[in-house]
Amino acid sequence: MSVSNLLENWSKFRHTHPVDDKGIPDWEAYPSDIKWAMSIDLDACTGCNACSVACYAENNLPVVGKDKYSHGQAMHWMRVERYWDEGDNGFQAEQGARFLPMMCQQCEAAPCETVCPVGATNHTEDGLNSQIYNRCIGSRYCSANCPYKVRYFNWYNYPEQENAWPAPLNQQLNPDLTVRTKGVMEKCTFCKQRTYTARNNAKTEGRPVQDSDVQTACQEACPAGAITFGNLHNPESQVAKQWQSQQVDLIKDIQEKDEKEGNRLRGYRVLEELRPYPSVMYLERVRESAV
Amino acid sequence: MTENDFSRRDFLKVLGWGGTAVALSGCGNTSIQDGQETVTSYVTLPSYVTPSISNYFNSTCAQCDAGCNIMGRVREGRVLKAEGNPNSPINRGRMCGLGLSGVQAHYNPDRVREPLLRTGDKGETITWDKALGLINEKLNGTKGTEIAFVTGGMSGHVQALLGNYMDELGSKNHFSYEAISPAVLRAANKKAYGESMPRYRIDKARVVVSFGADFLGAWVSPVHFSQQYAQFRKGSRPEGRGVLVQIEPKMTLTGANADRWIAVRPGTEGVLALGIINALGKAGLSIPADIAAVSHEYTTERTSKETDVSAEQIEKLAALLKERTPSLVLAGGAAEGYAHGSQNAAAIALLNRVLGNVGKTLEASASVPFPQIAPTVGSRSSLIALNDGLAAGKYKVVFSYGVNPVFSAPASMKFKDNFAKADFKVAFAQYMDETALAADLILPLDSAMEDWATVVPEYMAAPEGAGSNAYAQMSFRQPMMEKVFPDTRGVGDILLALLKQRTADKYKEFEDFYSYLRSAVLKNKVALGGKAGDDDEVFWNETLSKGIVPLKGIAGSVSAKASAAGLKLPVPTDADPSYPLRLIPAVSASMRDGRNANEPWLQESPDPLTTIVWDSWVEINPKTAAKLGIVEGDIVEVTSKSGSIKTQAYLFPGIHPDAVSVPVGYGHEAMGRYARGVGANVFGMLDSVFDKETGELALNETSVKISKTGQRVIIVKEEGPVGGSQAGKPKIAVQVSADKVDLSKEV
Repeated sequence: MSVSNLLENWSKFRHTHPVDDKGIPDWEAYPSDIKWAMSIDLDACTGCNACSVACYAENNLPVVGKDKYSHGQAMHWMRVERYWDEGDNGFQAEQGARFLPMMCQQCEAAPCETVCPVGATNHTEDGLNSQIYNRCIGSRYCSANCPYKVRYFNWYNYPEQENAWPAPLNQQLNPDLTVRTKGVMEKCTFCKQRTYTARNNAKTEGRPVQDSDVQTACQEACPAGAITFGNLHNPESQVAKQWQSQQVDLIKDIQEKDEKEGNRLRGYRVLEELRPYPSVMYLERVRESAV
Repeated sequence: MTENDFSRRDFLKVLGWGGTAVALSGCGNTSIQDGQETVTSYVTLPSYVTPSISNYFNSTCAQCDAGCNIMGRVREGRVLKAEGNPNSPINRGRMCGLGLSGVQAHYNPDRVREPLLRTGDKGETITWDKALGLINEKLNGTKGTEIAFVTGGMSGHVQALLGNYMDELGSKNHFSYEAISPAVLRAANKKAYGESMPRYRIDKARVVVSFGADFLGAWVSPVHFSQQYAQFRKGSRPEGRGVLVQIEPKMTLTGANADRWIAVRPGTEGVLALGIINALGKAGLSIPADIAAVSHEYTTERTSKETDVSAEQIEKLAALLKERTPSLVLAGGAAEGYAHGSQNAAAIALLNRVLGNVGKTLEASASVPFPQIAPTVGSRSSLIALNDGLAAGKYKVVFSYGVNPVFSAPASMKFKDNFAKADFKVAFAQYMDETALAADLILPLDSAMEDWATVVPEYMAAPEGAGSNAYAQMSFRQPMMEKVFPDTRGVGDILLALLKQRTADKYKEFEDFYSYLRSAVLKNKVALGGKAGDDDEVFWNETLSKGIVPLKGIAGSVSAKASAAGLKLPVPTDADPSYPLRLIPAVSASMRDGRNANEPWLQESPDPLTTIVWDSWVEINPKTAAKLGIVEGDIVEVTSKSGSIKTQAYLFPGIHPDAVSVPVGYGHEAMGRYARGVGANVFGMLDSVFDKETGELALNETSVKISKTGQRVIIVKEEGPVGGSQAGKPKIAVQVSADKVDLSKEV
């Protein structure tokens, strides 16, 4: 894509976002019948890291080793953050730790998209924030602009020079997607290889995509079933039901829960106040106060 | 190679494949040897293979002993990923990180590839014929009593075959060893409920009080319990959202998920259990007289003083337990790793009787109707027996399979030296680990994704519904592809070859272990769910494709017979001033006893609580650290009476100020590129203290002192310099009090 072409089509990129240039929600104009979304129940999540390892297995993520890890160069698209309650005397452990699985939130108004000088990261029809590897020139503006810090840059040529998969470990690589090379940015795709297969199969069979057609690798592994994934546009999907019951609206940045006290809801989106309109809803971790 | 395949090879190069002997031959596609290629065209693929479409083969995970049922995703003759089998009552389609890493054990670049013989300090590769011949030669003239076999926990047909081999040798010296073993739990359960592994029903309980049972991390069958836990947390369940209270001196993954984590003084778990019983009595619950006779001494005041748990907390907990029934009380490693570990476990078990949980949230299990394939569980006490025998020079030929005692025995046992006393040591090994290095002959094993086996889990989960009380199962492990390295062999095949050396006639009809297994299964067709008239081939294929064989098991029974008679808990004493801190060796979900340390995903997967990668560490309470002048990243020396290690200090709020904790499984001196030299081995420095009733090594009985070395590193970890702080941001990892949300209508 040439720069002139890109500039000419700039408005088109913007129009796939839920809010138009005047800040008015434009949900009706959404171009597709699919909008992939997720919800994660933090009360079920145990912080075990199975999702993260599943992501390594599914998405050909390189193991970088201790040295590069110390430089912040780990390539874990899915990571589990651990927080503590904070009190007057520092961290408190009496109610356990708090875990937060964090991956690309597939924002509808993604801060990463607007800053890419070459349009390598942009919005897909099915509501994903996509990364086009062979268009990426490695400016890393997207990563700088990402409030969730979930974009991972290939500082090295992992498959060859770094020998991240010494034979025969390379035989484990998933042929459904590439191994990225030096100089490109990568991130969670909501297991695009799986969603595309599901969409195509459903289309072949002449029916809409259902929940049973596709799971992301993290969702499939999760021992506590904390992750739900599906088509937010399909009111029958579990993810749509959850968003609906928590009254979280994709195209709002202040939800019912924030507006009214005592509504007893627990759905929220991380750093929602920055207005990136993320596609991942979290359900607050619950703790019993009676003990 | 046909022309059609040419572009595909280019495709593989793009993926980063080197010029290795890529074993695509699982579908009969390609095998490359000596630069020559023998090719079968795509036209003649098996009917079930379509290039680019994955096939799934049901099998059983071998990464720990829980026996989760998995499906191997296989494409173009390579297994790519292990996924959970949705029909499994154990893992119900789910996986843990450890299980997912099984493919890295399979494709590991550091696997032993050929039989190796050691002469002096040198090793040479030899042929299988020579290796097996050498074993035969050494065994001739050796008495059965001089032969020993050390394995991990075993079950299924490999175990049956091993039993036959031991019989032929006239040896009764089969030592089943697990470095991290719930042996005290088994014995205590047997005494208290009549069964060593009853079914726990976390999903039915309204309150779970766990004394150091890390059921979400590394305890018994964690993927199974994680699903129960997910049910337990659902507010829409008739019982409402369950409340978890975890009592342990060092926070485990389960503790991190608790509604209330209680840092008990190490070793006083039993005292606390009796104190809670006493408080329950005070709150009006009727306590059986035999229990009250013991528990009445444990007034809230005394309990609080001895355990370091506030009186208010004890009363709150008793009130919660009285109000919300049924509950479930669990005892785990943190409570059992003491000289009085069995007593602790017995005191904790009393709570289930007092609260009336037995039969409600603690159910009877079932066992398989065939004793030969029923699981033999391992313990540490069996290693002690082996070690004593070795020290006395009783054993001349020793076989080891699936265990690494040279790595995991405490240095004070001098296992390595004693092992060397045996004339001829044979290691069945996948890696050149510490035990293989000390052996004379190393036989390279197939990976669990290349080998045949049957598995019977010790913890027998059951599907919901009628007949579940007698539900037992056997699972298949089957090869998912051709061997990665052509010269490795399955353990069953090796045992069969060894058996043929002893008694050729009995086994001559079996060409290999596969034919032995198939024949054994077909002979029991009816018991395994078939009909007498079923076609053998059809029955075999159907059974294998399901991977799980439900059996009409022998239903057990549980009873609330836990008795307080003979219960005696030691009064906590002051710490030895020269070793003032208690060492709690931590068992993490991914590293376990260290057998999987050479799988790089596990090394790079952060420890959930500290977020540290690629190293070991010592967890110190910030208060204790402040007293000792230690800051994060200081390299400290942790010294016990039996040894010492140096490692980085991590300040951790989830640990009792009197305790420090170091994870086990790190500090390999051998094994492979990802394990060797990473961290320090805490097994080596443990004192030889044993549980008085079971003889099990008391893991938490080691006292230590900590001193600064003057060196400091920046810890390599996932969290940033601010640690676990959310920096006042309102919407990151948000928590809400249970009375502020309505969970009952959630979908």
